[in-house]
Amino acid sequence: MRRLSGRFRSALIIGLQGIRARKMRTLLSMVSLFLGVLAVVVVQAGASIADKALLSDIELASAVDGTTIIGMPMEPKATDIVLDTVDGRTDAVAMLGLTAMIGEPNVTPVNPGAAPFDEDWGGGVVCYGTGPCEPADTLPKGQAVEVRLTAMTGDVRPFRPLRPRTGQWLEFGTVPAMAPRLVVNREAAKGFERYKVPAEMRIGGATANITPQFVGVVDDGDIQPRAYVRLDELATWLPSAGVADPNSGGEMQVLVAPGSPVEQVLTTKLKAIGSETWVQTVDTKKEMESQLKLLRLVFLAMASLVLLIGVAGILNVGLATVGERVEEFALRRAVGTPRMLLAGIVLAETLLTGLFTAAVAIGLSAAGLRAVSVLFGDSEPFLKDLQFPWEAGIAGIIAGLVAGILGGFIPALRAAGIPIATVMRA
Amino acid sequence: MTALIELTGITKVLKGQQQPRTILDGVDLTVQAGESVAIVGRSGSGKSTLLSVLGLFDRADEGSYLLAGQDISRLPERRAAKLRSSHFGFVFQRFFLLKHLTAAQNVSMALVNGQGWLPRRERRARVLQALEQVGIAHLAKNRPARMSGGEQQRVAIARALVRDPMVLLADEPTGALDTETGTAVIDALLAATERGCGLVLVTHDRDHAARMGRTLDLVDGVLTQRVTA
Repeated sequence: MRRLSGRFRSALIIGLQGIRARKMRTLLSMVSLFLGVLAVVVVQAGASIADKALLSDIELASAVDGTTIIGMPMEPKATDIVLDTVDGRTDAVAMLGLTAMIGEPNVTPVNPGAAPFDEDWGGGVVCYGTGPCEPADTLPKGQAVEVRLTAMTGDVRPFRPLRPRTGQWLEFGTVPAMAPRLVVNREAAKGFERYKVPAEMRIGGATANITPQFVGVVDDGDIQPRAYVRLDELATWLPSAGVADPNSGGEMQVLVAPGSPVEQVLTTKLKAIGSETWVQTVDTKKEMESQLKLLRLVFLAMASLVLLIGVAGILNVGLATVGERVEEFALRRAVGTPRMLLAGIVLAETLLTGLFTAAVAIGLSAAGLRAVSVLFGDSEPFLKDLQFPWEAGIAGIIAGLVAGILGGFIPALRAAGIPIATVMRA
Repeated sequence: MTALIELTGITKVLKGQQQPRTILDGVDLTVQAGESVAIVGRSGSGKSTLLSVLGLFDRADEGSYLLAGQDISRLPERRAAKLRSSHFGFVFQRFFLLKHLTAAQNVSMALVNGQGWLPRRERRARVLQALEQVGIAHLAKNRPARMSGGEQQRVAIARALVRDPMVLLADEPTGALDTETGTAVIDALLAATERGCGLVLVTHDRDHAARMGRTLDLVDGVLTQRVTA
């Protein structure tokens, strides 16, 4: 072990001396290798970032991996069972989807059908505080915005990582407010910014018109205008019969954490009353990985090709260098340096060159990523606060080491085979 | 007393040509510790080949080679490298100093060769001691380009001495130097014999040969004792 350590240190010292003595050659080797290592780092970094960006978008719109989503139509009995079952729990949250109109009464909203504000979906309904909704076509256009309203029994963010933009998120630990607090998504915020509407909300089945408080804006990945509200704050104005009204066009979802008993309890209870449910466990990563795997392999193959060209460069420079150092290697053998150590010296030089190159490529990639994040983070949210993925750093180091070994192997063999008699004949 | 070097019937034949050529033909040579031996002869007489066999660079086809009583005629390369490091010091006609290294680093080359590891402080001390032995410790930080031929050869001698070898093998060490500098180099080599080191000097220079304890003639691969008048 001690002998190995001595040889390793000797190879390292002599290798570093060799690199220092031939700076230009080392630089040329690095240049030829740089693009290859950079390609590997960029492909790996790009793939990791794309994975995360895609995954985070899908999680935003659906739910985090492992979450079980139980969907069911809005029926009075089913709603009661759901609310009873998830009440006070943190491992499950029920989300009731309703339609709400905010703004002037008795008008057709600017976006019938809760359509995105730059699209026209046609149709739409208008709802009154005391009764069911009716088609909006019959009413004149006015200053009102139609939104999808999601009423929640608890904090949904452990299941769907909604991204806060401005203001604050709903606080579930406090006493319910009389004026329900709303957090709107970015599309809804755009609508309220564009159309100055009175803060009066109408929901089908509500006992009266509601004056909501807007407390924040989130990014939920939804293209429709949507508002989030605490169910208990809405319940002050909306009796359970109204919440569960099948004619309101509502929908109900329960998000359940992995390993929670709620799924089994709820499906059993709902089955008992004959309510139709559909259950889905989110496994986005697995589905996405199979799709991205091929693409990543194709890019990695291309990067490997560029790396191979870099290896050819380092090999070329390495062979030329050994040719120039014949006397030095012969002399080193004469003073007792074993052949293995001579090979080790050449390999140490190419390995160190590979590592230096990898360090430069990783450093530049990280700096480039930071610059892209700063420059384009505002316009492209997925670029905001980007971190250089450690997988890309490891891939770069491995690429540098592999290139160093491949490029240095033949020169190392040549160096080890130089006869000592070279110094005698000189 | 056991001889430092004892060659018996060493024969070396150069093959791979149309007709094999005998370079060394039954050479017998004994060198005692602290003894200096000069080998003289015309070009192509086999002097350098004899030195190669002595220094374990090459292997004889026939004959035996005893180093301090140990038979080393058929050593594997790995053990030969270890012996070259621990028992031999080499000085060549060309100095073979690495131009990117300082004098001290060039001397240190013989210590950083994978044959055991010395801590930096001890390495530095031994390098300085070797440079002092040849009188150029003050040039330790100089690179070869800033040194004269004589100084460079002394660095090469310091490199040969730094591991306290049992045998010094010098192949025309003064060939590239003027007479005065050459004499100084021979002085440095002879100083090593005073510390018990055996010296085998291959030279064309009769004056330098005359300063050795014995002078041997190598003629067509046959070694003979020169008879002084």
